[in-house]
Amino acid sequence: MNEKTRLLNALRGDAADRPPFICPGGMMNMAVTELMDAAESWWPEAHSDPEKMARLTLAANRVGGIENTGVPFCMTVEAEAMGAQVDLGALGNEPRVTEYAIERLDQIERLQNIDPGKGRARVCIDAIRILKKEAPQTPVIANLTGPVSLASSLIEPMVYYKGLITDRENSHKLMEFVNENLIRFGDALVEAGADVICIADPSASGEILGKKSFAEFAIPYINRLVTHFREKHGIPSIVHICGDVRCLGNLLSEIAAESISVDAMVSIKTLKELAPAKVSMGNVSTYLLEKGEPDDITKHGERCLRGGVGILSPACGISPRTPLVNIRGLARAILEGGSTVNTRQDTKAG
Amino acid sequence: MARERGDILKDLMDGVFLMDEALVIKAANEVVEAKYDAYDAINNGLIAGMNQAGVLFDKEEYFVPELLICSDAMYAGIEILRPHLKKSDAHEKHKVVIGVVEGDTHDIGKNLVKIMMDAAGFEVHDLGRNVPLASFVEKAKEVGAKLICLSTLMTTTMDGMATVIEMLKEEGIRDSYKVIIGGGPISQAFANKIGADGYADNAAGAIKLSKSLLAQAAA
Repeated sequence: MNEKTRLLNALRGDAADRPPFICPGGMMNMAVTELMDAAESWWPEAHSDPEKMARLTLAANRVGGIENTGVPFCMTVEAEAMGAQVDLGALGNEPRVTEYAIERLDQIERLQNIDPGKGRARVCIDAIRILKKEAPQTPVIANLTGPVSLASSLIEPMVYYKGLITDRENSHKLMEFVNENLIRFGDALVEAGADVICIADPSASGEILGKKSFAEFAIPYINRLVTHFREKHGIPSIVHICGDVRCLGNLLSEIAAESISVDAMVSIKTLKELAPAKVSMGNVSTYLLEKGEPDDITKHGERCLRGGVGILSPACGISPRTPLVNIRGLARAILEGGSTVNTRQDTKAG
Repeated sequence: MARERGDILKDLMDGVFLMDEALVIKAANEVVEAKYDAYDAINNGLIAGMNQAGVLFDKEEYFVPELLICSDAMYAGIEILRPHLKKSDAHEKHKVVIGVVEGDTHDIGKNLVKIMMDAAGFEVHDLGRNVPLASFVEKAKEVGAKLICLSTLMTTTMDGMATVIEMLKEEGIRDSYKVIIGGGPISQAFANKIGADGYADNAAGAIKLSKSLLAQAAA
């Protein structure tokens, strides 16, 4: 079974020989400095050159044992295209927004639409085309910044969060505009060949928003995205929610994505209880991945597999300083322990 | 005719914790016009309201958006009342330096701690986010703070916390300061490992910890 079939089957709940081991990209990017050396493609240049971007994620697949490729390696492509100022960071630091596009919620008309033919949006699209040619049997994951996280990259998050209560009308207008743009960008990434969409929305954690605002401002917009990609393109989605999702309770199961990925503090067992119909993804601590020993990481990965995880992955974005041998340690869990796990039964359980 | 002090203070308190900034502004102006005690109005009105909001936050009835709106209302009231404080109201406050360590711009958690520290009566020197590590030490020396609070959400920047503690050691002034840390990936185990004086996993915990550490230091 090739990597692409395995991931797509896992996401659809179809039979797979074992769960895949992935590192989607975006917030949960896979680029560590040793892989940059191996690919001779380093940050920050790899953020804005399609050839280097493709080479780096391909190295993660071929050298690191990660069973996918994925672009970009940050959460700033959309915000930059919509008018925010971005610093591309350095070898060991990811890009970040340095200046917001608007100051107030009533300035939405100042935001720009993402032009997929320009800038780093174009870089991602061109990189996907290269990946489709170079590694057609490896699934390409297109990473989108979640709607709440993108909105709070366009306007100071403190202003944004307050607006959710004090100015709901303009907050929804901003979310609508953000979603239109995520759909436009996502469509272009899928048309270039992406096989899976991954939406990470760290700013939409239940601990920050609370259940009520999560239900009003995160779920409807996330669901519109994943439903769109499924209905228009037949493309499955993964949604990553940061923080302790237990405070969201049964709201988690209302997320329409095929798969839900969670942080390290939530066990796979708990995730499966909270969202029984979803393919569970996760959730090896990124701290352990950076500082731990390869053998411990293998064991931890095996624990996730025994817990019935549908897709094995890090719990969050990994540090660029994570040793390659540790990533391989996690890959080993799947090769040694994975053959005994029946994906279909596990992902459909409950 | 001015309303009773108690009625106005109740509006200050309710205005803060029910997120009604307009009510706070109206009541604060009433305090000024009636020449009631500004210090009393801040403490027993605005800050009492903020502490109530903090209780609702702990009970997970309020979340970050609500707490931020409450704090805006509190600060709007303080803005109006501060010019009317008497010299004798100036008490010696515990000085605190707080910030998000270099390389990280996630400052929501830090802001919440800052708000609750203001409400708890600390003099908070907020260095903001992505703060060069040496600045924590410099600022603490400059203002004579006894407590340094470091925050980060990212595993990539956690080690900066250890660096700040190393800097204090190198200057031979480690014992002059208490250092507490917090943020998403931080744990008590990490605090122990890097030799921090304490760790808190939420804003209320940070206030409690700060108070007990400063009491220890004074003893």
